[in-house]
Amino acid sequence: MSESMRTTPEVERLHSELSAVWGNPRGWRGVFSVVNHSTLGLRFMATGLVFFLLGGVLAMLIRTQLALPDQDFMPPEIYAQVTTMHGTVMMFLFAIPMLEGLAIYLIPKMIGARDLVCPRLTAFGYWCYLFGGIILFASLLLEMAPDSGWFMYTPLSSSEFAPGPGSDFWLLGITFVEISALSAGVELTVSILRTRAPGMALHRMPLFAWYILAMSLMIVVGFPPLILGSVLLELERAAGMPFFTVAGGGDPILWQHLFWLFGHPEVYIIFLPAAGIVSTLVPVFAGRPIIGYGWVVSAIVITGFISFGLWVHHMFTVGIPQLAQAFFSAASMLVAVPTAIQVFVWLATLWLGRPRMSLPMLWITGFLVIFVCGGLTGVMLALVPFNWQVHDTHFVVAHMHYVLVGGMFFPLLAGAYYWLPLVTGRMPSERLGRLGFWLTFLGFNLTFLIMHWTGLLGMPRRIYTYDSAMGWDLYNLISSIGGFMMAAGIAAVLVDLVVHGRYGRRAPHNPWGADTLEWSLAMPPPNYNFASLPRVESRHPLWENPTLGDEIARGEHARPGAAHGRRELLGSEALTGRVREVIHLPGNSLLPLFAALCLAVVCVGLLMRIYPLSLVGLAGAGVLLLRWSWENGGHSRAAPLGHNDPEDPPLHSRTADGPGRWTMGVALLADGAFFLALLFGWFYLWTVSPQWQMPDQSPLSLPLLLASGAALTLGTLWLERRVAALRRGHEAGLTLVLSAIAALGGLHVALLVAALLAAGLEPTATAHDATLLVGLAYLLVHGGLAAILIALQACRAGLGLVGARLPFEPGVVALLWRYQLGVFWILSAAIALLPRLTGAGS
Amino acid sequence: MTALGRWLAPSHPAQLLLGLTIWSLWFVALYGGLSVACELAPPAPRQGALTGINTWLAVLTLATLALLAWLAWRGLCAGRETVGSARFIALVGAGLHLFSAAGVAFVGLPLVVLTPCL
Repeated sequence: MSESMRTTPEVERLHSELSAVWGNPRGWRGVFSVVNHSTLGLRFMATGLVFFLLGGVLAMLIRTQLALPDQDFMPPEIYAQVTTMHGTVMMFLFAIPMLEGLAIYLIPKMIGARDLVCPRLTAFGYWCYLFGGIILFASLLLEMAPDSGWFMYTPLSSSEFAPGPGSDFWLLGITFVEISALSAGVELTVSILRTRAPGMALHRMPLFAWYILAMSLMIVVGFPPLILGSVLLELERAAGMPFFTVAGGGDPILWQHLFWLFGHPEVYIIFLPAAGIVSTLVPVFAGRPIIGYGWVVSAIVITGFISFGLWVHHMFTVGIPQLAQAFFSAASMLVAVPTAIQVFVWLATLWLGRPRMSLPMLWITGFLVIFVCGGLTGVMLALVPFNWQVHDTHFVVAHMHYVLVGGMFFPLLAGAYYWLPLVTGRMPSERLGRLGFWLTFLGFNLTFLIMHWTGLLGMPRRIYTYDSAMGWDLYNLISSIGGFMMAAGIAAVLVDLVVHGRYGRRAPHNPWGADTLEWSLAMPPPNYNFASLPRVESRHPLWENPTLGDEIARGEHARPGAAHGRRELLGSEALTGRVREVIHLPGNSLLPLFAALCLAVVCVGLLMRIYPLSLVGLAGAGVLLLRWSWENGGHSRAAPLGHNDPEDPPLHSRTADGPGRWTMGVALLADGAFFLALLFGWFYLWTVSPQWQMPDQSPLSLPLLLASGAALTLGTLWLERRVAALRRGHEAGLTLVLSAIAALGGLHVALLVAALLAAGLEPTATAHDATLLVGLAYLLVHGGLAAILIALQACRAGLGLVGARLPFEPGVVALLWRYQLGVFWILSAAIALLPRLTGAGS
Repeated sequence: MTALGRWLAPSHPAQLLLGLTIWSLWFVALYGGLSVACELAPPAPRQGALTGINTWLAVLTLATLALLAWLAWRGLCAGRETVGSARFIALVGAGLHLFSAAGVAFVGLPLVVLTPCL
């Protein structure tokens, strides 16, 4: 929007109204209660930058230690902590949160929305990330950091070989941070699918949104296996349940499976948004639409799936049959195809356009060179015999950095330079930026290209020093010099990023001549992004209509202003972008902060083994989250429409399929991934663990389980029937029926508790009993939650907050009941019925 | 049209996920089936690749390949007859089915030459 457009009193009034409704509160309360996506996206990125600098300092310490042979700059135990924390910080506290922050900041602006669909969840995710990161990093300052490598292989990370609290810091801190990642994954998915601008059908969506959609869904499916692994390992360390101990019937290889089920997709979770930046920038600087939009979409989807079928290539040396290794080797090569499709699309677009070698394009060029090299060494590592040769050497470290730094860091800086004028309204320094690029590019290659040779000469990773006779001296010295050169380059970039806000040239409107909606906004954009919500029927709205920003600012499109005092979004159909409903968003709140604080108390309590403190924190978090859910829909604090307000399009809480239902659906997808990982763990231990001990008779009582399942089945069927009736407008007796269903839920839980008590499990004696306990606990938590939520629905129905006119919420809770019904019967069959049928223990 | 019928239509967005979901299920069955079979009844190594395990997994592979090829062909035909987002979904879906079929063939190829359980 050009500044001249905000001149007429009418336009001024429009913007004042929107600022009053969407503005961030001032003062300390504002700092803690803000839920706006722009503010929180920038906070994510700023916090990620701090962790990146800390991780970078650790990298410099590593390179100082390895620069010369027989160094004693760091003792081995500190070196092990530093290398573990470098990897952990860069992967979990920098790469993922930084890219999530970018997505949180940009996605609503790109798809024509005023905010993400769950703003309080954004805030909750940020606080979980911040507290989890602080807890994890504090371990290093206390000299009790994890030291078993960033992948925490058992038994090295188990109590026997890591008796201190280091592994606990990792397991609890990472799980805390992963709550944040899952929050972002869920809400980005739903926001992209359900809140795009009117007319923005799937095939018109910006490519960046496709990439973020894939990343979000991969987070939703990929992170839960690691959460499960972390829970199991923490239970082993804290309570002695032998999931990964062979003598107790466990298997340390199970950890590797769970870790890499997450760990390999993680690489693509990091790569895809970065590739999204490339696919956004290349057409802009080539001055033409991207070649092969559909090919890129296909490549994104293929990458998202195939990347889940490669995890075993990290485990080629653990003794898996050759034929199975061949499957994973082939799949590992297969994933190069979608990556190659994208590289050829980018090259073809540049070839057919008129490329401008501006600063962001310099970083893109660096990305192409480094990432293609990293991809080629990736194909080499997919070959089993070569993989055996270089396993656990510096060759793998070099490959990983080529893929991750080349594939993520270079595009990230390209994006930072590209979107910086949007955020600050000023241009970066071309001269300082170019200096920073060349130092970083040359320094990076000096460090890691040489490291391939060091690895081929046999230098193992994670050793704290080496003998001069090994012949690795010169290579390590060059790598260390390169590392410091790269650090100087990054310092130059940081100086540029910091000082440009004050001394940078004022940016002209849409300085790069971009095509996507975010550049239609003021620079920096207001909290509400769009004064009116545009209709978008092109992949390149600003190329088609360069004055679109002025029209939006004048309020010439949908839902201008906010005289009603509500935060509104338009909900659209996932496929066509047709408007379906108006979505009311909640405003600023301290509840996300307090809920995250309670979870931090849980985390600290578990670390210090003060379990009553953890229980208090858990109860506090539960109460706060339920309170958060209470202020919804028809609640007066949610500012619902009055009876006389127009209902076209209808308010989301007056429909049967609002975005909350989609949010529940995507959250259950994550839950399902956790459940499948648990099921995998059960069958894996049963079939593979060398000393698995299956009792002659299953300790679980079938009659009790069947009775519990019957109560659940009856409750679910009744609830489904009642939800269907509610949608047809029948609300008579709703409170009573929902109360009765809640009672059935309570009965289901009570019978499950009885089955657990009657089983007399000894979870510290065998992995079998420990797995049964975790499985039953999983069912109990979900059953209890389902019962509580439907009981709250009964209360809300009694208060008139749910009914024929507000039919939305029971349908959301019904999804949870349906899910619990499915997992209950599947798990019961797996842990109680199947052992009986196969006579496994006899 | 029933809900299931709508989901299976070539122009439904689910087609963007269907082909690779089938690939994933096949891959899990391949790896899981091999692992379980090798635990329960490993064949003698001298049998080479001509074992019951390889045969059953190869049959599963061919059946999956045929299903994916048919789905790709169906999407391609639908793409020629539709416009707008329906055409986009049908054609991209067809391409994804085709890639999945190629993926099944490529990853399944070692069944022909490698001994299981070794």
